[in-house]
Amino acid sequence: MSQNPSAGTSELRNAEPDNQEPKNQELENREPENREPENREPRTPNSERRTQSPPLLASALRIFDLSLGQMLWSRRSVFLALLLGGPVVIALVLRIVSTMYAAGFHINGAQAVGSSIFGMMIWLLYIRFIVPVLGVFYGTALIADEVDDKTITYLFTRPIPRSAVLLGKYLAYLASTILLVLPSVMLLYFLVVPIGGSSIGEAFPSLLADFGMLIVGLASYGAVFALVGTRLKRPLVVGLVYAFGWEPAVLMFPGYLKRLTVAYYLQALVTHEMPQDSAVSMVLQLFHEVPTVFTSLVCLGAIIAVTLWSAGRAVEQREYVLEQ
Amino acid sequence: MTAIVAADHLSKWYGQVIGLNDVSVAVPPGITGLLGPNGAGKSTFMKLITGQLKPSKGSIHVLGVPIWGNPALYHRIGFCPEQDSFYERMTGHEWVTALVRLNGAGDQEAAAMASRAIEMVELTDAANKKIGAYSKGMRQRIKMAQALAHDPELLILDEPLSGMDPLARRRTIRMIKEWGRAGKSLLVSSHILHEIESMTANILLINQGRILAEGNVHQIRDLIDEHPHTVHIKADHVRTLAREFLADDDVLSLRLEEGAVVVQTARPDAFYARLTDLAASGEHGAIHEVTSPDDNLQAVFQYLVKS
Repeated sequence: MSQNPSAGTSELRNAEPDNQEPKNQELENREPENREPENREPRTPNSERRTQSPPLLASALRIFDLSLGQMLWSRRSVFLALLLGGPVVIALVLRIVSTMYAAGFHINGAQAVGSSIFGMMIWLLYIRFIVPVLGVFYGTALIADEVDDKTITYLFTRPIPRSAVLLGKYLAYLASTILLVLPSVMLLYFLVVPIGGSSIGEAFPSLLADFGMLIVGLASYGAVFALVGTRLKRPLVVGLVYAFGWEPAVLMFPGYLKRLTVAYYLQALVTHEMPQDSAVSMVLQLFHEVPTVFTSLVCLGAIIAVTLWSAGRAVEQREYVLEQ
Repeated sequence: MTAIVAADHLSKWYGQVIGLNDVSVAVPPGITGLLGPNGAGKSTFMKLITGQLKPSKGSIHVLGVPIWGNPALYHRIGFCPEQDSFYERMTGHEWVTALVRLNGAGDQEAAAMASRAIEMVELTDAANKKIGAYSKGMRQRIKMAQALAHDPELLILDEPLSGMDPLARRRTIRMIKEWGRAGKSLLVSSHILHEIESMTANILLINQGRILAEGNVHQIRDLIDEHPHTVHIKADHVRTLAREFLADDDVLSLRLEEGAVVVQTARPDAFYARLTDLAASGEHGAIHEVTSPDDNLQAVFQYLVKS
C-alpha cells in the first residue's frame, strides 16, 4: 500500500490495511446513539423463514407472476402482435379470393384444400419464421431487459436463487408468446380450413396437434435463445443468424449437422398432408429425413433442459454491472 | 462487537480499471455513512456489500457470512439502490408486494407487509397510484419501502436523498434516524457530507477506491466548512427565491438556470435549514428538487490525501 493519506485529525482513524493499529481510544469509547444491541434476536414474525433455503420452483413462479404483466404489455409484445397479424391478413385475402374463384387453388395442377394450406402456413409462417422470431426477441432479452432497465437489482437482492429469476422469466415468456400466437392460429384456422370444402370439425384434432407443436417450438427456441442471451455478446445477432442462417442451411444437406437444429426435431411433429407435385412439396422434400415423434419429443425436452440449466448457471455466476 | 460488514483486503477491478483497492474495514452496528465523491468507489463497495459483484481479491462478509452466491442472506438485508428504475406500470403497493413475495411471504402477508412499509415511508395516500406518476421524492420513498418491508436487520441505502425536495429530505432523514433507534443497522452512502452528518456521526470516507478514514464526522465537516458549498435548486419561482437568498450574508454567489437557481454558500447548515423552512411555508412556490455537486467534497478529499 503505497498511498498513505493524511487525515489531518486525531479523531479520524486511518483505515489503510497497513495501518491496522488498535482504534483511537476516543473512537473506541464512542458508541453511536443508534447502535444495535449485540446478539439481538430477530424480532420479526417471519424470522423462521430466514434460515430456509429458497426453493427454485416456488421462487420462479413468483418471478413469473411479477414478470407476466410486464412482458405481455411491453412494446416488444405490441410489435410482435402486429407480426402475428400478418398470417391472418394473408388468410383473409385467401378466403376472399377463394370465394371469388369457385374453382379453388391449384398448385402445379393439383387442388390445394384448406387443411393443406393451413398446414403449410403453420409450418412455413409459424414454425419456420414467427416462432424463431419470438424466441430470439424474447429469449435473448429475458435477463437483458432487466439489466437495461436497471431493475435487475431488485430481483438479485432477494432471497431467491438467480437461476429462479431466469426460470420465472422463461415461464412468463412462454405464457406471453402462447397468448399471442394462439389467437392468431385460431383465426387462421377458421379462415383457411373451409377453403376448398374442408370440414372445420374434421380438421380440429390436427389443430390441437399444431397447438402442441407450436408450444413445443416456442419452449425449445425460447430455451436455446435464453442460453444465447446469457452466455454470448450480441445475442440478438447470434440468435437471428442461428434461426435464419444456420438452421435453413444445414437442413438442406444430408448428414448429422441438422441434428443440431430445433427445426429438425419439430418437423416430426407436423401432422398435415401437404399437396403433392407442387413447389411447396419440393421444398418440403428437403426435410425428408424425419425422426420419429417420440425421438423428437425426447430430444426437444433434452434441448430445453440442457439449455435452461446452462443459462441458469451463467446467470448465477455472472456479474451484471449496470451503466450509471 | 460484531461487525455488520467486514472487508478483508477487498479489491475489485473491471478489466484494467480498479474500482476498489485493497480495502480492509469493519463497519460496526448502528448507522454508518459512506461518504465520497462520484467515482470514488462507493457504488462498487455497495455492490460488493450487496452481493451484486464478486470480489476480484480478498473477501467481504455481511452479518458474519460471505454475501456472494448466498441468496438466503437477503432475508436479513434490505437494499435501496441508487438508480431511479422501476416497473413504472405497477402501483407502489403492487410493486412492493410483488418484491416481498420473493422473500417467501404469502399473498396476504406480503400485501400487509407492503402496506406497513409504505405507511412507514408515509406514502399511504399514493400507494395505489402508478409509480410512473410519482414525483422524485415519492420514488425514493417507495424504493426505501421495498428495502424495509421484510424487516431486515441491515438496511443499505445508496444515495437515498438524491434529488429529493427539502421537505422529503427532512422526512427521510427523520425516518432513517428512527430506524436506527429501532435497532436496525444502516449503511448510507452519499457524496454530501451534510446529508450524512444529519443522520450519524460515524462515517467511512472513501476516495479513489480506498477507505481513507473512518470515525467522527465533526472533524471532517470543519474542513468542508472551509470550502464553499454549491446547491442546485429546482423550483417554481426561481427569481423570487433568488432574491430571498441574495439577502443572506452567507450566500457567496448565485446563478440562475432554466427552472433552477444555483447557490454557493459558506454556511451549508444554515442554508439547508432556511431552504426547508421556505419549502414548508410555500412562500415562493414549490421547491421540487435539491441537489449538490460533489465539487465541495472533492476539494476536501484533495486536502485529505495531500501529504
